[in-house]
Amino acid sequence: MLTKLADMKRIISLIFLLVGFLTFAWAQEETVEETVVEKDKPVRSPFESGYLIDQQTSVIKVPKTLEFVIQHKFGTVENGRSDLWGIYAPGANIRLGLNYVVAKNLQAGWGITKKNMYNDFNLKWTLLEQTRQNTIPVSVTLYGNVAIDSRSKKIFEEQQYWHSSDPDGVHTLHEYRWSQRLSYFSQLIIGRKFGEKLSLQAGASFSHYNLVDHTGDHDKIAAHLGGRFKFSPQSSLLFNFDLPLKIKNISEQREWTNHPKENLALGWEISTSTHAFQIYISAADGIVPQDMVMFNQNDWKNKGLCMGFVITRLWNF
Amino acid sequence: MKTKNFLAVLSAIFMSAVFMSFIGLQDQKKGGPWDVPAAYKSKKAPASTAQSVNLGKMLWAKHCKSCHGNNGLGDGPKAASLKTSPGNFKAAEFQGQPDGAIYYQSFVGRDEMPNFEKKVVDEEERWALVHFIRTLK
Repeated sequence: MLTKLADMKRIISLIFLLVGFLTFAWAQEETVEETVVEKDKPVRSPFESGYLIDQQTSVIKVPKTLEFVIQHKFGTVENGRSDLWGIYAPGANIRLGLNYVVAKNLQAGWGITKKNMYNDFNLKWTLLEQTRQNTIPVSVTLYGNVAIDSRSKKIFEEQQYWHSSDPDGVHTLHEYRWSQRLSYFSQLIIGRKFGEKLSLQAGASFSHYNLVDHTGDHDKIAAHLGGRFKFSPQSSLLFNFDLPLKIKNISEQREWTNHPKENLALGWEISTSTHAFQIYISAADGIVPQDMVMFNQNDWKNKGLCMGFVITRLWNF
Repeated sequence: MKTKNFLAVLSAIFMSAVFMSFIGLQDQKKGGPWDVPAAYKSKKAPASTAQSVNLGKMLWAKHCKSCHGNNGLGDGPKAASLKTSPGNFKAAEFQGQPDGAIYYQSFVGRDEMPNFEKKVVDEEERWALVHFIRTLK
């Protein structure tokens, strides 16, 4: 018994020593890194705002900044002048959001969207910032959210859903559970500023819906590409492209009958000290990213484009 | 006859607009002297380069132009709605100040001149803006 106790003490001491050593080693590394970062500063404004039409950028403002964002998408242009190319179409979608920078390169946000009355709570963390002398050649950002479909409970109760545990062809009415309202989105974004004018970013995302109809998938992986070309001190051209991937291994469908379509967006941005205005045309009618990846059926090659805008306003505390 | 009346009404509207804008400008008070702390007054600007002036110009367009105008004359689109005149940066009185005083006025601010310390956080960018303001004379 005594031997066992002595062994345990020895093991605990060893663990403490190891942790202490690792902490010391880490602290040493941090000191070295801090010195390097001081010499090589992050690049100036790879993007003017944290938004790139339908996507996020690596940009997070200084701590204690509050951002109010209005994202608005009109209907599709398919009906032409009869509804002023979608501007007066009934299918508009709007998101109002607030973001707050809680610490350096860490932002928390909340938004509410008209479509499905999504309440989304999101976090963005820029792990690495590209530096001017290329000590760090790219920026690396993580973005994630959880969205709550906050429509009436009736909407959930009246529908039949297929669950992956059900036998083929059997669609049952599942009992309503609150968790069925939840969906998630997580994304890794890698970006680089090429000179003063051009910035590009690429990303990969994973979306999950707790509840989908029997033609859909619960999970979807998507690839993202975006960029801006700054042609004057305040103006830039923007683009983004979101491609939901057809991956059989994570699909619950035998055939791609209702696979979401890719989203293409092109826009023009004007930025000022406290505002960014983005006017654009894009395919997806959704604004919450998992909605775009999972449900977009607008085809940009076939008049499936909507006009829209993003306005951000910043306050510093 | 109708055309004459129409022209008379148009002229009256135009004259009123000119008159009102004149009143508006007259209502703007001139900002009093700045109380710049000695620590700022003695700040030394790094050497100005073509690159820093160009960077300053970009920052000017984003942060300053809307009130101070393209050339620092205080005639930007937002200037008319201010109670205090944004001033004339070409004036010898303004340009005669030390760099540190212009730095303080630009980034610390007072009253209607907002604080820009959290919008332009990089020291290098701040001095670049001062360098550009120096080219306005």
